[in-house]
Formats: sequence, C-alpha cells, structure tokens
Amino acid sequence: MQAKRYINYRRVVLTALATLLMVLLAFFAMLPFAFMFLSSLKPGQEMLRNGLSLTFEPGVSSFTNYAALNTYRDGIYWLWYKSSAIIMFLQTVIGLFFGSLVGYGLAMYDFRGKNLVFTIVLVVMMIPFEILLLPLYRMLIRAKLTDTYFGVVLPYLVPPFMVFFFRQYVLGLPRELLEAGRIDGCTDYGVFFRIMVPIMIPAFGAMTILSCMNSWNNLLWPLIVLSTNEKFTIPIGMGTTITPYGNAFDVLMPGAVMAVVPIVILYLFAQKTFIAGLTAGSVKG
Amino acid sequence: MQRQSANKRPRANPLTNPKVVPYVFVAPFVIYFLLVYLYPTIATIMMSFQRIDGPTQVEFIGFKNYERLFSRNYVQALQTTARYAFWDVVVLTSVPLLVAVLLHSKLVMFASFFKSLFFIPALTSIIVAGIVFRLAFGTLPTAPVNRLMTLLGQEPRDWLMYAGTGNLVLIVLTLWRWMGVNIIYYLSGIQAISPELYEAAEIDGAGAVSKFFHVTLPGIRPVLIYVITITVLGGFSMFTESVALWQQNNPGGVGRTIVGYMYLMGFYKSNMGMASAVGLTLLVLVLGVNLIQLTLMGFFRKER
Amino acid sequence: MKKLLSLLVVLTLLAGICGAFAEEEPIHLTLWTFQELHTQLYKEMLEKWNANPDNPKLDIDMQVYPYEDMHNKLTIALQSGEGAPDIVDIEINMFANYLKGDIQLADLNDIVEPMEDHLVMSRFNNYAKDGKFYGIDHHIGACIVWYNTEILEEAGVDYTTIKTWDDYHEAGKIVLEKTGKPMCTWESNDCWSIYPLVNQHGGDWLTPDNEVRMDEQVVIDTLAFMRSMLDDGTAVACPGGNHHSEEYYGWMNAGGCASVSMPFWYLNRFTDYMPDLSGKMKVAPMPLWSDGGHKSAQMGGTGTAVVKTSANVDVAKQWLAYATLSFEGCVNTWLILGFDPIMTDVYGSEEMKAPNKFFDYYDDTIFDMLKTVLDDIPDTCLTENFPAASDIVRNQMAYDLVMTDKSPEDIARDCAEELRSQIF
Repeated sequence: MQAKRYINYRRVVLTALATLLMVLLAFFAMLPFAFMFLSSLKPGQEMLRNGLSLTFEPGVSSFTNYAALNTYRDGIYWLWYKSSAIIMFLQTVIGLFFGSLVGYGLAMYDFRGKNLVFTIVLVVMMIPFEILLLPLYRMLIRAKLTDTYFGVVLPYLVPPFMVFFFRQYVLGLPRELLEAGRIDGCTDYGVFFRIMVPIMIPAFGAMTILSCMNSWNNLLWPLIVLSTNEKFTIPIGMGTTITPYGNAFDVLMPGAVMAVVPIVILYLFAQKTFIAGLTAGSVKG
Repeated sequence: MQRQSANKRPRANPLTNPKVVPYVFVAPFVIYFLLVYLYPTIATIMMSFQRIDGPTQVEFIGFKNYERLFSRNYVQALQTTARYAFWDVVVLTSVPLLVAVLLHSKLVMFASFFKSLFFIPALTSIIVAGIVFRLAFGTLPTAPVNRLMTLLGQEPRDWLMYAGTGNLVLIVLTLWRWMGVNIIYYLSGIQAISPELYEAAEIDGAGAVSKFFHVTLPGIRPVLIYVITITVLGGFSMFTESVALWQQNNPGGVGRTIVGYMYLMGFYKSNMGMASAVGLTLLVLVLGVNLIQLTLMGFFRKER
Repeated sequence: MKKLLSLLVVLTLLAGICGAFAEEEPIHLTLWTFQELHTQLYKEMLEKWNANPDNPKLDIDMQVYPYEDMHNKLTIALQSGEGAPDIVDIEINMFANYLKGDIQLADLNDIVEPMEDHLVMSRFNNYAKDGKFYGIDHHIGACIVWYNTEILEEAGVDYTTIKTWDDYHEAGKIVLEKTGKPMCTWESNDCWSIYPLVNQHGGDWLTPDNEVRMDEQVVIDTLAFMRSMLDDGTAVACPGGNHHSEEYYGWMNAGGCASVSMPFWYLNRFTDYMPDLSGKMKVAPMPLWSDGGHKSAQMGGTGTAVVKTSANVDVAKQWLAYATLSFEGCVNTWLILGFDPIMTDVYGSEEMKAPNKFFDYYDDTIFDMLKTVLDDIPDTCLTENFPAASDIVRNQMAYDLVMTDKSPEDIARDCAEELRSQIF
C-alpha cells in the first residue's frame, strides 16, 4: 500500500511537470502567431511606432487591414492566393502519383539496378537544390515553360523524399498481396491502383501535408519562373511588400495570417491520417 | 486501340511482362533524375570553370574560380554555416527527441493536442515569421526579448548584431519552425517499437533512463539516421532563415551562409562561374558530412 | 504643280485623320521595377503619353518584384538571353553588373544628349560606360541633414549656425548634455552614414581604373571623426542597424535623436513612417569639412534602362524620355515621388510650388535650401567593382566602425585589402 501510494504521488508530480513543460513549449510555438495576428489588427504605423507588442487595443485594433487586403492593388492578393492553390494542387497530385509509383516499384520488386536507383534517390536527397537554379532555368526557357505553372512544378514531379517515404511504407506491406492480385487476373498496375493504393492511404495523407506545406511556402523557384504579377504566389507577393526602404505592414501581416489559415485547416483535417501514416510508414534506414 | 486489345490479352503486352514492370514503375524517377538533377549538375560543374559575362560571352578559365575561392568572405561564410549546422544538428535532433519521448510516455496530458500544435509553425511562411523574430529580438530595450531580459534582471542585448547571439536567434527560429516535424518523425519511430521490449527491460529492472538508452534509441536508429541526414542538409544549405533575419546584411559575419555567399557571387556580383564553384563546394561538404555521419551511425552495415 | 501639292497635303491630312480615328492596336511593353512607388509616376506619365494623339499608343505591363529578386531575375534573363522586359528599373548598386562584357542594355545617348544642358549630368555618369549612357535616374539624391527642432530647442541649439562637422559635433555635445539624447546615429550595416561623409570629404572607394581608394587618408580621417562622435556618445549605433529599419523609424519618430543625414529622397520616409515628427523636422545642407571637400554628395538611385533585345527599343526609349527627361516628368517626380529632380530647369519653377504632403510636413523652403548645394556635388565612381566595394562598406567597414574597437586605420586597411583580393 505504502509503496503504491508513493508511486502514484511521484507520477502525479511527473505528469504535472511534463505537462507544464509542454505548455511552455506550446506557448513558444504559438507566440509568433499571436504577434502576427495582433499586429494584423493594427495600422502598419502602429507597428513602427511601438514595435511588436502583445496588446489588443479596442480603439486601435480592427479588421480594416483585412478589408484593405481585398482592395490592395485591385485585389491582387486573391489572385496570388489562387496561383498558390493551383500550384499546390498540381505539385501535390503529380508528386503523389509519381512518388508512390516509384517508391512502390523500389520496394515491391527485385530487379537489376534497383540498388543503384535507390542510391541515386538517397544522393539526390542530399543535393542542395539551390545550386541547380541557373541551368534549370535555362532548360525551362528552351522548353518555353517560363511564366507557367507547370514550369514551377517541373522540378518537383518525382520528389525524392516522397519516393523514399513510399518505399519505406511499402516495405512494411506483405508481398503476398501482389501474388494474390495476379492470381485474381489483375495486371501489376491493376494491383497497384486497386489493391495497394487503398492500403497506402495513410502514407498519401502524410505526403499530402508535407507536399502542400513545401509548395505553399516555396519562394525561390516560383519567383524565378513566374514573371507576371497576377501569377505570383503568396510568398512572392508578400515579398513585394518588403523593400529595403520600408515594409507595408498593413498588407504584410493580414496577408500572412490569411496565408496560414488554409494550410492549418487542411492539416487539422488530414492530421489523423497524417500521423497514422507516419507511424505506419515508420522510417526505416 | 492497341492499348485496349492489349488489356484483353495482358500476357502479350510487353509492358505487363513481370521482367519489365519494375522498370516501368521506376522509369519516372530515372527520367526525372537525368533531366532535373544530372544535367543541371553537369552544367554547374562546367560553369564553375567558366567566366560568364553574357549569353554569348563565355570564357573557359580553368581552375581560376577555385583559386580565387578562399577569400575572407568565403571562409567567414563557411564558419557561419558550419557553426549553424553544428548547433542545428545538436538541437534539432535532441530537443524533439526528448519531447517525443515525453509525449509517448503517457505522462503528458492532452498529448495529441500538443503534437498537433507543435507542428503548426512548420506551415507558416518563413518570410513573415522571420520579420516577427527580427522585431522580437530587436536592438532596442523595448523589443520583446529585451524586455524579458530586463524582467529577468539581465542587460538588454543587441541580439542580431553579433555572431554568437545571432546564431542563437537562428537556432531558436529553426527550432520553432521544425521542432514539430521532427517530433512526428521520432514518434513514428518510437510507436513502432514493440511494447514487449520495454516490458522485458522493466523485468530486467531498467529505469526510465536505461530504457531510453537500451530500447528507445536502438529502436529508432533508422529514424534518427533519417532526421540527422535531412538536418545536415538543411543546416548546410540554410539561406532563407538568415535572409528573413538580416536581408542582404551580414553584421559581424553572422548573416551570410554558403548559399547566401553563392547568391552574392552569382547575382549581386553577377559572377555565375564563381557562384557555381561555391555551390559545388557546398555539395561536396554536404555529401561528405553525411557520408561520415551515415558511416558512424552504421547505415551502410545495415541488415539485409 | 500647285494643285498637285495641295492634293498631296489634303491626302496626307486625310490619312492622318483616318489614322487617328482607326482603332489603333497599342504597342505592348513590359516594365519591371522593385519599387511599387515608381509605378505611380509611370502610370501618370503613360496616361499623359497616350492622351497625345501624336504618340503611338502604348500599353505598358508594369510588374513589381521583391527588390533582391528582381535583380536576380534580370541577371538570369539577360545571361540566358530570354525573358527580359523592355524597360527595367535597376538599383544603382547593381547597375555595374549589367555593364560587363557584351552589354545587354540599349544606349540612351539619342534621348539624353539633346537634353544635356538641362540635366544634372553627373547622375548619368553613374550609368554610363565608354561614353554611352545606359540608365536614367529619377533624382539627384543630394545628401542633406534633417534636424529635430524640438530637441534642438530644448538644448538651446540653433541648427542654422552649424556650418562645419566640428560645429555639428560641438552642438551634439550640448544636445547630449542638455537632453541626454544623441545628436545622430551611424549605421552599423549599411552605407548611408559612411559613404556620403567620405564622398563629401573628397574620397571614394575606387578610381575609374578600379584602383582601390579605401585606405586613403581621407577615408581614415572621416572614420576617425565618426568614431570620435561614437566615443563621446554624441553619435550612437543606429537601432536596427540602418536608417531603413522599422526599429529606427519607431525610435526616431518618438524623438530618439536630434538629427540624421541622408539623401534627399529620405523625405518620404519621414512623411510615411515618422508622422509624429510633422512640423518638427527642418532640412539643412550638410555641414562642411574644414579641410576641403564638397557641399553635398549624391547617393542612391535607380537607373531606368531599356533592354537591347526588346522588339520595341525605339518607342520604349521615347516613352522613357517623356516620362523621366521631360519638364512635366521631372515635376511629377517631385509631386508624386518626393524626389529631387534631375532637371535643373524645374528648380524655382511655379509648377514645383504646387502644394503636396512634403511641403505640409516640412515647409516650402526645401528647394531654396537645396539650390544652394547643387553647384558642388562630386561624382561617385561606380565601376564594375562597385557592388563588391559597397558590400564591403556595408558589412565590414560600417560594422567595424560602429560595433568594434578597431582603429580607423586598421578598418580602412583591412577593407581595402579585402576589396583588392576580390578584384580580378
């Protein structure tokens, strides 16, 4: 009895401490958002006058900046939003399709050159994309793909990290499924699309979030490809409000808040699948 | 038409030949690799031996770009990057691991709530987050972090103006942004460890610390390898974070990483040949460090 | 013969009228800028251009990019030979990059030379190579000093009596003693404190032949003067590191220090970002160096250029000449952008006296003051190595001066060495 009570007591303290630690970390994670949101409610001038502050002033704070976002440069913000969404959609759908296909192929089959291909996947994951910008852009010009959404998506058609992840995931699936499918008269592609894809849904969930996240916040490459202001993505558009001569905080802050909203909603929706997917796919070396 | 008839008689279609099928599956990646990685990499290597002044003005200059590489600025950028990458790997592999273990331990109430919450910073654009951090770590005594310092009885600091504290801010920013992602990677590994292993350890009388070192760590080795590998890559090719904090400035040598230096060379000074040479040294560095890391972690002697 | 001639005249007239009435397909041009503000001027001047039936109709697609990225994009587009716009704003620090090797910009001599007598030609030399002009600036960028009269009055200092930098320093000591506030701020990661002072003092970073001048005595003397103000607290490190940071705007707006020296175009930073100082700020010429030098310095700028490969080089040039080199364009540069125009004719003209927000903020004597310094502004030497020099000044010289104890001699020597090592 005595000992048991002691353990419980210890456990309560530990639980309290651990939870407190998490609360502090959560505070740390959320604080910048609080700054962002509260600043978005104030005139940009207020930001310069008083710097960042965690205050809500009834007289000063309002949603006027959000209304102004609608009219900023004839409502260009929503065009940026649309571009970002189109690119995110294209990049994610294409990436998922090819990524799962290749990852599956690498995990499910034994064939000559398999190790070579997988080694290349690993090496490519370690190449800093930045060093390839200029030659890639030259290629794009020759293919007449500058200022197109497809040009933006091009370097991410078969994302190596997806190939890697799907391979890990499929390694955990029984190979007998393939045999069974073949016996049922399916082609190998039929097996993939009809039997494997439904089983891999958690993995798709995880990769959807990661891909959307990468695409939505991507700055460098879309900037080089796109040249029409109306086709810009949100990060580029936001970038135009930051100049060495002063920033347009009235646009920047509400714009940033509005940019986080959809991806957070998507995340909250997909997170159950997402976390399940990562767990099931448990990354193996 | 051909397709349709082939579908009816699958055996006759070479594409459904079991020997061919795997190649069809991996073909997209091979094409993609040749087009998006191999060709541009070769082009970059070639450019690093050239002086490029315009579309038609390209001159082969041998190793001159490499001979000129080691200026004070380049060495400074190397140091900045190495310092950042080191702390990045240390902090971003350990802190999320600790949090993940705690979240998994059932000690924490509302664990899944925290799990989702920690991930949210990864969804934000670094540009605006960077501005918030820049202002939070501002020079004036009235900046939020300096107010906190005053509350704690410390002197206000010029955080972003010195290499040491500037690097600290960078690490804090990186931790804020990527902690949640790494936590989820770790959790996926931890949850895959069979509970029986823990039970067995408990029977052997192992404490929490001992269980962590003897069951958890070996169990998540593959995840750990993955996390370290991408953190090394992220650390050495960091650029946006420092731009968000310092724009094109480089106070005390803290604001310019290797990729930043590559940009400076390629765009600000319009010297694409030199920029390519810088980029290639980065490639060699990342591959080298990761190779060493993977060897030490025993990635190559993995079970078949 | 006479009949034939009048017939011809009638025919031409008719043709002209028909031409005017026919729905004319406008010529499409693309313009890139990194400064959204500039498009306000361009749009105004485009409207006026199209309102004149003699002009070919233009449709200019104006694209605004983030500052750094616009230049990156332009570099890539020009180097790969495709995707460049017709007209582009290029920041002065970057301009030399585009004058290397096979120049991809069109020379503008045919539109600049006829106007030569009316323009401040030293502004055009910044964007020139081998006698050819490649860019047109919007302003002179003459450096002046803004004084916060509220603080000065509290200290009992009359800014009009400050004639030399030594006077300025002495006044600073009084201000510091009486109000506890510094006289000025020196930037620790930008060039707007050091370069104007050095340049006004008679120094520069490079010679036209790319020889490094960073370790000349005049540079060391200027740095020593700036350091002496830091040492006694009359100057402090600029909050946020430079005069364009949010922190500085907020601090200055709250009466953080008594003065700042910046180029003329800084006028609109006050009106836009430091509204609480309205009516309190007065502008004055820069103090002079007692051992020689000039009345002011010209700093910053944007060279608007026409890309050589454009399909409409000629019409692009004509419009650009109208927008930036005409009397009307130059007046609008002031009225819309708040810049000091590059055309000498406009100074003192009635059109320039039209009320605007700048006159409201300061007073209407701005140009009378400015006119007194325009006759003595040195050239700046922007060779192809200027971007490298400017980077060193921003990140090494300014930092070492303000944030470290390194001696002015050592700073100048190390910076010069670094620049030499980068030139090849």
